[in-house]
Amino acid sequence: MNSIDTIQGWLVNQIAKQLGIKAETIKVTEPLTRYGLDSIDSVTIVGDMEDWLGAELPSTLLWDYPTIEKAAKYLVDEAGVSPAETATAEPVAVTSKPKEEATQGKGWGGLWNKISGS
Amino acid sequence: MQPLKQFWVAEALEKDLGDPGNPESMMSFKQVIDLDEKEEFPQEIIDWLYNWKLQHYYIPTECGGEFTRFDEFISFVRVLSRRDQTAGIAFTTMFWSYLVWMAGTDEQKQILSSFMKDANGTMCLAYSEKAHGSDLLGGDMQATKVDGGYILNGEKWPINRATRSGVAFVLARTDPDGGPRSLSLFMVEKSKINPDNFSNLPKILTHGIRGSDMSGICFDNCFIPESMRLGAEGMGLELALKGFQITRALCAAFSQGAADTALRTTLKFAIERKLYGKTVFDMPQPRRTLTDAFLDILICDCSTFGVGRGFSTMPEQISVWSAVVKYFVTTTLETVVNNVSVVLGSRFYMREAHDWGIFQKVLRDNSIISMFDGSSVVNLHALLLQLRQLTKSRARNAGKNLEALEARLATTFDLTQNLPAFNGKKLELVNRGGDDVLQGLDLALASLEKLKTDSNLNPDTLYQIITLTDIVREELNNLDVKITESTFQFGHEQDPELFDMAKQYCILHAAAACVYTWIYNRNHLGEFFANGEWLALSLRRLMSNLRPATSLPGRIDDSCVVQEMIRLYNEDRMFSIVPFQLAKSQLQETTTDATPKLQLQT
Repeated sequence: MNSIDTIQGWLVNQIAKQLGIKAETIKVTEPLTRYGLDSIDSVTIVGDMEDWLGAELPSTLLWDYPTIEKAAKYLVDEAGVSPAETATAEPVAVTSKPKEEATQGKGWGGLWNKISGS
Repeated sequence: MQPLKQFWVAEALEKDLGDPGNPESMMSFKQVIDLDEKEEFPQEIIDWLYNWKLQHYYIPTECGGEFTRFDEFISFVRVLSRRDQTAGIAFTTMFWSYLVWMAGTDEQKQILSSFMKDANGTMCLAYSEKAHGSDLLGGDMQATKVDGGYILNGEKWPINRATRSGVAFVLARTDPDGGPRSLSLFMVEKSKINPDNFSNLPKILTHGIRGSDMSGICFDNCFIPESMRLGAEGMGLELALKGFQITRALCAAFSQGAADTALRTTLKFAIERKLYGKTVFDMPQPRRTLTDAFLDILICDCSTFGVGRGFSTMPEQISVWSAVVKYFVTTTLETVVNNVSVVLGSRFYMREAHDWGIFQKVLRDNSIISMFDGSSVVNLHALLLQLRQLTKSRARNAGKNLEALEARLATTFDLTQNLPAFNGKKLELVNRGGDDVLQGLDLALASLEKLKTDSNLNPDTLYQIITLTDIVREELNNLDVKITESTFQFGHEQDPELFDMAKQYCILHAAAACVYTWIYNRNHLGEFFANGEWLALSLRRLMSNLRPATSLPGRIDDSCVVQEMIRLYNEDRMFSIVPFQLAKSQLQETTTDATPKLQLQT
């Protein structure tokens, strides 16, 4: 699994959890507003992403990249963010493989728990 | 002269406006009541203010004006508002110009600056719509792209100064697909568009601020050139939200002006009115009511000065600070006005019997402040969405970079310190880096402990301050636990419990602001301020919202607070931690003979 998939998975899971809907029903190509996430919600969720990624992100990230797919692509391809190095809590510039254990969880729930440590 | 420069404009304006109790002076209570009775726009007052060149203080120096800092601004808006909120609000709609100072091109800044200075121009804000209220993204106003500009279609309502403004800041949809980037903001210069394509809706009859030019604007296939767009296409919502961060914080100044008059005119009544062989003021219950109102004003003062200066020192945190102040200060001071009405008895409801009936006008006018520019619910919502992040960042920042934190707090709260220039580009939609005000509580407690060696301080007072500040910290920890355990929700159907948590956050924030204000200004705001009884009483008052009174330290003697309130009343000074000089009252001289006796009795 690559970084884009990992970020997509985290976002799907996070949004499913926050909105109380099943992760399977969320399509990464749909605008997030379709799931009832309003403009201010999508600003505050960036704060959670910052914690998870250990990187400072533009708060309007999900305004400018309004689908999960677009946001993940932007983060990896343009911002150079990699979710694997979150343990360092430092902004990361080099893309590398996510931790092995992160890929073992079945479904995104297990992945999120392992990565976020919560 | 007042040593603190940021109060010079307010004092000069006061002096020139004269005693509001003198019917002949500009913005006298009689004049503003007469206008209100007729529901007439206060044009003469507005003209006078333009002639005084007050509009220059709405324009930053780099854009050709005199504005340099928000704490100065807050002080002179208090002056306007203590006399008449109708005129104060009408004149201060000019502060929407900050949208242009933040996001405009040099040419747009130049146009607006000369419109305000040379043409006595004003502007209005056309954001909300009848069908959508606070839901800005739900708006129906369209801006359809055409060659060289846009075609505007739709209706905005309600708008203060809709008909008299030469410039309307209009939020309209440029992307029919919707979403947070679908709105753009336009600086519509009415003189440059075809008058056949826009019109005004009828004046709205309101509960208070009755002379306001309040209506709506309707655009019908109205062409506007591209040069009227502020910022890039799709920036509208972001600019609107950042603009609100500024104006919401400044709304506190309207409330503080109103609360000053409500207290002052009630105090005048209480000192002069005799019942049961005593003055009303001699009776413990009315005196306590007035003293508590004075304390509430001082509490709000600390928050308002804090956010005013915070714009310069920590703009990236203002999304939280301004929501706190817009909620806390406006609703607290609304309660102050209501509370002191009891002392006036039936007079509060009468339109002629006391000081031309200014109290009932204040009561009516002031009730809009917590509603406009984002209601209390909107502000608490903005805050509750951030609570979880604030809690996390507080844990993450604990014990780190303490020197930098202390330096930021000192610059923010020490009123004698110079402020760095405000940079609007540093505003953030959500708080970045935590909330210094609550982060600094441990530092504050450490500073308070050191004061135990200060022989000038009453040990009992200091004990109360330390104990109560520690309670603030405990309650913050309790709140953090509650926030962490709460289920976070999106959307607009949040649990009422989350709103309660946001309210508690505001109270703790206000308490911390009081503590820093005292710590950092003890040496230069006079003896009353330095002694700190007001702080001990204020903290107790704030914490009684969170804990039963029996679990708090007992209320200390408040006679010094009573005396200070009477002193400020007698000397015509603002009820404030910085009691700057107001216009000298001619009528009050007859009452000063009676008041030394009052001071001795208290």
